[in-house]
Amino acid sequence: MLVETPPSLSKGDNQKEPKSLTLRNLSVGYDEPLISGINKTIYPGDTIAILGPSGIGKTTLMRTIAGLIRPLSGTISHDYPRRGGIGYIPQRLGLIRHSTVRSNIALGARTRRSKWYPSWYPLDRSLNQDVDSAMKALKLEDIADEPVRILSGGQQRRVAIARTLVQRPRIILADEFLSELDIDNVNSIIKATKEIVEEIGATLVLIEHHEERAIELADRIWRIVDNKLIEEGDSDQ
Amino acid sequence: MIPINKKLILFGIFLIILAWLSLDELVEDWSQIEGAPEKLETFFSEDLWPPDWSVLEAEVWTDGSLHKPNGDICDEKIELLCSKAWTGMVITVKMAFVATLVGFFFAIPLASLAAANLAPLPIAIPARVLLAGLRSLPSIIWALLFAIALGFGPLPGILAMTLYTIGYLGKLQYEAMEGVHNAPLESGLAMGLTHSEQLFHVVIPESSNHLLSQLLFMFEYNVRHGAVLGLVGAGGIGMYIDNYINPPFDYNKAFALLIVVFVVVVIIDLLSMLIRSFVTEEGDVKRPKWWSVILPPSMAVDMYSKTEEE
Repeated sequence: MLVETPPSLSKGDNQKEPKSLTLRNLSVGYDEPLISGINKTIYPGDTIAILGPSGIGKTTLMRTIAGLIRPLSGTISHDYPRRGGIGYIPQRLGLIRHSTVRSNIALGARTRRSKWYPSWYPLDRSLNQDVDSAMKALKLEDIADEPVRILSGGQQRRVAIARTLVQRPRIILADEFLSELDIDNVNSIIKATKEIVEEIGATLVLIEHHEERAIELADRIWRIVDNKLIEEGDSDQ
Repeated sequence: MIPINKKLILFGIFLIILAWLSLDELVEDWSQIEGAPEKLETFFSEDLWPPDWSVLEAEVWTDGSLHKPNGDICDEKIELLCSKAWTGMVITVKMAFVATLVGFFFAIPLASLAAANLAPLPIAIPARVLLAGLRSLPSIIWALLFAIALGFGPLPGILAMTLYTIGYLGKLQYEAMEGVHNAPLESGLAMGLTHSEQLFHVVIPESSNHLLSQLLFMFEYNVRHGAVLGLVGAGGIGMYIDNYINPPFDYNKAFALLIVVFVVVVIIDLLSMLIRSFVTEEGDVKRPKWWSVILPPSMAVDMYSKTEEE
């Protein structure tokens, strides 16, 4: 996988200039390819929804883009900073259950400072203010000091989103991040996410089972059919 | 009807037969069992029982003055504080405390290098070999080595316990770290967190329950082991036990000191339960009633519904 990180972007600032991500002849899967022949470019500000039935490879594709799985063949090239450039919200959210809401969200802010800071060193005032703002945007202020393990599914989902938003990544990969939420929560999370994604100019790639919601949310729809990734409205395919 | 897993039962029977065959091969003379309970009973009733509780008192010299075991005059209001049991136990607990704490702080980074989900194999394998090396020598052998180098006293005991703690606790810790869910680690990896950030902000909080439990277990283990280390002159309550089980034998006093060790271990266990309750999820759920453990499941369910209605 080709990942170019210019030195100017490795100092903890995840948001300097818009960058794109390109998938070339990409095949993803474990032993056998689940999806092959993927050729796509993702531009800053895009909101992409990946649709398809369960087990077809949506999560595998997302984990490959996140750099957690090696592609079976092909390349993923981007110049996002290695630290903090990618925000990933897995299906199981990836929260630290015994830590507080604030500590979980602060983890995202840590990626915005240099990796040479000792890991125990506290965040500076401006990063702490960003943590507070993210908590305010996602209505988490009242439970800031509660351990995540005692929160409801919806509250935990909002913590995961706040953590990624405070990270200010170039690309947010969200795997079914709106599932298990009631309609009020979905609307407030969509609103907060859109606002912050627009503010930081990030790309949002999400896996969504709710087709109507996906069409409403995204400006590009990727559908996985017969081991191929097809973009709706793309006449080249 | 719950289906019976025949393969599992057969495997269990196979293991029992294997254990029996191994035992039979090891024990050449089964006749040595004959009379063993009687011998044990005689030893217990004539030598051990009753425990001599004078170990809970200060030493009385011929002039009637009270003294600590080291010969200092006892000026405490409570005589127990000048006794061999108290002074020995305090030294042992202090030794165990220092060794466990120092061992814990050395073990954590080593364990994070040995955990397969945190470090690549070329780093994990040497770290595991180092930890295995440290725990393959029992602490009594380490204590013997340090006693040769440094002489008798608590210091060789502390060093021995510390090295053994690093090896033993390190293994428990890397296994706990490997048990951490993948999702938070994957999020951290995708975010670009460093190894130490993953360790401090993801792995340690996620495995805090296990790490704390192991730390407290190790402390308890070191307190118990302090009684053994006394045998090689490492100080503490073990030194007094060693004095009593050697000529001129005074098993009643040794037995009383062993009871003291037992009581302290139980207290540590209760404290451990209390401390762990801050990080476990047991406080979040309702505790089962005592009778639900004893009664057959159907009766327990009936009683439970009745109490719920009340």
